[in-house]
Amino acid sequence: MRLLRANLRKLPRRPATWVTFLLLIGLNALITFFVILGSKIATDPQGALAARQFLTFPTAYELVLSMVIGLGGLLAVTYGAAIAGSEWTWGTLKAAVARGEGRTRYTLLTYVAVAGFTFLGLLGAFLVGVVVSAVGALIVGVPLDGMADTDALLGLPERLGRAGLAMAMNAALGYAIATVARSQLAGIGVGIGLFFAESIAGFFVPHIIKWFPFSASGAVVTGGAGGSTVVNGQELGASLDATTAILVTIAWLVVSLAVASLWTERAEIGG
Amino acid sequence: MTDALGMALATQGLAKRYGSRVALDGLDLRVPSGVVYGFLGPNGAGKTTTMRILTGLVRADAGRVELFGRPFGRRDRKQLFGVGALIEAPSFYPFLSGRENLRALAATGAPTPASRIDELLALVNLRDRAGDTVSGYSLGMKQRLGIAGALLSDPRLLLLDEPANGLDPAGIAGMRDTLRALAAAGKTVFVSSHILSEVQQLADVVGIIARGRLIREGRIEQLLREEGSVRVRVAPPEVPSAGATLEAVAGPGTVRAETGPEDGWLEVRIDPERGAELNRALAGAGVFASRIEVGTNLEELFLELTGTGRDVGAPPAQGASPVVPGWPS
Repeated sequence: MRLLRANLRKLPRRPATWVTFLLLIGLNALITFFVILGSKIATDPQGALAARQFLTFPTAYELVLSMVIGLGGLLAVTYGAAIAGSEWTWGTLKAAVARGEGRTRYTLLTYVAVAGFTFLGLLGAFLVGVVVSAVGALIVGVPLDGMADTDALLGLPERLGRAGLAMAMNAALGYAIATVARSQLAGIGVGIGLFFAESIAGFFVPHIIKWFPFSASGAVVTGGAGGSTVVNGQELGASLDATTAILVTIAWLVVSLAVASLWTERAEIGG
Repeated sequence: MTDALGMALATQGLAKRYGSRVALDGLDLRVPSGVVYGFLGPNGAGKTTTMRILTGLVRADAGRVELFGRPFGRRDRKQLFGVGALIEAPSFYPFLSGRENLRALAATGAPTPASRIDELLALVNLRDRAGDTVSGYSLGMKQRLGIAGALLSDPRLLLLDEPANGLDPAGIAGMRDTLRALAAAGKTVFVSSHILSEVQQLADVVGIIARGRLIREGRIEQLLREEGSVRVRVAPPEVPSAGATLEAVAGPGTVRAETGPEDGWLEVRIDPERGAELNRALAGAGVFASRIEVGTNLEELFLELTGTGRDVGAPPAQGASPVVPGWPS
């Protein structure tokens, strides 16, 4: 427990934690700003209406969460990679192992702290996003009555829980990549590369890619309502249903952590 | 192999290869409890690899390690609870302060009381800067913090890789006092260093390795005595007769006529304490030495045993570009 406590105390002091969080809320706020701007200057009534709907609660809850998860998935990969990679780059893993600390224990407890902060970041970004959307709604003159919608509010914990699982898996993936690469930069670079490679490959082989980590975690968040990819009127492959998506995401999470632990356990630690 | 015989640490036939390169080739070490052990060797001799194996960072290909009388392997990590180590460069989180780094380190391995952190910060003279982030520390300050980190769990065995690296003279003196005090308190200090004069002042026992093998180990004064020499200068025509006289005292094959810029030097492999005896024998034979130099320091011994030359290149040939001195192999 003292190792977990130490990790939880350490992460708020890390620039990577704040940079990632500020990037997430900053980009989301920027999108909302453009929506507000769009609603003000749009000459097309349809465009103005769409912008206003974006800021209308309770739909805005879902839209804010989608934005947070859309960017957050990628940022979770880079955050996991940054934390795991630095343990090798700075030699802090070496110092812990030389003190008799268990390698797997150290790897997993460090990850648990990362997952905890990823979830806190998700919650924080969501709350900030809701506030920004509410302010935007006031600016464009959309009433805030829908904010107290009971159904929407009662559904939020489950949605946030699923989003938390998806983000935790993404962070684990970045964590595993950086552990194998033994480097922050390599972990972040490869993590981002995989994120985009999977997104692009999803256009061509969606029936295969739907089992891949980012697609599966996306299906967890949408509750399997992502629909299917249709090209020239032909359905190429549907996204995973909610239950399968959760199981596949958990499987990716476990595999990522197993790879990170096994790699650390077997590694010869130098430099 | 260890504790029962008063050994804190012992290795037997330790071997390690990195690809085709042999890092350790059957290393046998015996480190008695309660001493400062100087672990010496030229670059690439296998010192850091040994330290890594002793701290479970790297797995040996062959051989065995015993810590405090018990075999130490990959599954015996808790034996390291009694070991403090500073391997290569000190490793810290740059965004945390010195104190926070020690707290983070104390959360790993052996349980450590919180009060120990402030004691150690005071010991290494970092208390005034303990709240500053490590990214702003100088190399010497990081080294002090690294030594504090190695001492966190009040270890019975301390493994330090180049501990004087980056320390100022006051820091080196302080470190020496601390390590001597630890040995006096019954702890064992295993120090790898390139600063041979420092090791000579600090260590009770030294082990010298080259090409992954131990080539000499023993109490420092004993090694210097055994490997000592006396240099005698006589008139060049008297070299043959002086050589015979000296050999009669020191034994066959112990005298070598030196070649160099100054003629007439003879080197005698003998306990330096017997320098006066040689002088008396020469005088008795009617040969009078113009100069006598006795003793061997650790550096001379190290260079001789490891077969490494001094770091001086040949002078440039006439008209040639200056030659940058080559490093010893």
